[in-house]
Amino acid sequence: MSIPSIATHKPVVSCKCAAYLDWLQMLSGACLILFMWAHLCLVSSVIIGPGVMNAIAEFFEVTKMVHFGGPVIFMVFLLHFVLAARKIPFASKQQGVMLANAKRMHHTDTWLWVVQAVTAMIILIMGAAHMWVVLSDLPITAQKSAARIQNGLWMLFYLVLLPMVELHVGIGFYRIMIKWGIIDSKGRFGFKKKENMLTAIMIGIGVITLLRFWFLAIK
Amino acid sequence: MARMLKFNIFRYNPQDPTSVPHMQSFTIDETESMTLFIVLNRLREEQDPSLQFDFCCRAGICGACGMVVNGRPGLACHTKTKDLPEEVTLMPLPVFKLVGDLSVDTGTWFRGMYQRVKSWCETKKVFDPSAPEERMDNALAEKIYELDRCIECGCCVAACGTALMREDFLGATALNRVARFMLDPRDERTEQEYFDIVGTDEGIFGCMGLLACEDVCPKYLPLQDVLGRLRQRMAFAAVNNILPSFLRKEVKL
Repeated sequence: MSIPSIATHKPVVSCKCAAYLDWLQMLSGACLILFMWAHLCLVSSVIIGPGVMNAIAEFFEVTKMVHFGGPVIFMVFLLHFVLAARKIPFASKQQGVMLANAKRMHHTDTWLWVVQAVTAMIILIMGAAHMWVVLSDLPITAQKSAARIQNGLWMLFYLVLLPMVELHVGIGFYRIMIKWGIIDSKGRFGFKKKENMLTAIMIGIGVITLLRFWFLAIK
Repeated sequence: MARMLKFNIFRYNPQDPTSVPHMQSFTIDETESMTLFIVLNRLREEQDPSLQFDFCCRAGICGACGMVVNGRPGLACHTKTKDLPEEVTLMPLPVFKLVGDLSVDTGTWFRGMYQRVKSWCETKKVFDPSAPEERMDNALAEKIYELDRCIECGCCVAACGTALMREDFLGATALNRVARFMLDPRDERTEQEYFDIVGTDEGIFGCMGLLACEDVCPKYLPLQDVLGRLRQRMAFAAVNNILPSFLRKEVKL
């Protein structure tokens, strides 16, 4: 045991920043999860008919929710990225360690985290592009969306973005629930199974929605 | 018919300047109820006396024989060869200082961890050896014992992606250790004092919830539940003073 001979130690300053940032990361993630689920429900209303989607879009237009909500969601999206990026390794050495560990362990949850980190980077770029295109061409209508998707390249763009988002949202939801002790160890695997099913259903609805836009007659 | 098992074992002696890290293959016949502990002892006795590995109790109590078995940390004495394929790769646990071959120094790491988290009952009471021991509710004693079952083998740390990436991360064993003292009524630390130890990015808020710790723990400690409740407890401890009363929460471990 060593006893310092000179009392130069400053008193330890207690900081709650890590807790605040973790709260913010979780809450911003939870908000985006809810938003993405709602977003898919609203957009997929085009499956019932373009009139239904247009009516919903008009409601958000008239109430100005899209003008206010769009930029807010974009800010939350950026905030969530910055907060979550604190945990993502950017140094190639750390990335190598993480990948080697996931490969060596054959551990699903470690791989899920890798998927979450990779999809985050793709969503950051593609999600920002999507938001820019949609929000800079308001109001949203089924016809405009269909015209964009029937362009071909945008169809490809959304066929990539859709599974990226749904995987990120699904894994994020699972991780929040287990990390914050909302789902206990007994419920973990059952919950994971349900979450995987939900993700598959969401991707399925998304693909059907894209196909609906693809075949929608543009007036 | 008994299988012939092939073992690819990491060999390196840091004490020997001529030693180079490499993998060495051994072949051995499988016997009934064979564990990796038996395999390694037979290899050392019959094939290579220089093979280094740790063991003590051979019963999953001492935690000395932790190693990476086909990519996953586990105890050699707990791992039966009948559960393994014919070819097995054995590596030393990462994170810890390598002594040689499969032997690592977990002691130094755990000693440092004890000091970081103050792994003892902090009390101002003067111990009276002649006084009868304070009584404790049985249910509480069992709850503490459940977390105290950790044998400090280091498997949870070696399996944790966060601990591998970040040397300063406490790891599940340390967080579990703090939770154990939080439960103990003899420990007089305040919530703030606990917060200063684990309410950081090196502590519970650094945990990314990969749950490899839970999945490899050879003692099946409830690490997912402990870490989840610890996160909730520390998170609420940080915000309870600014939350309206109906949102405040005192989280029990």
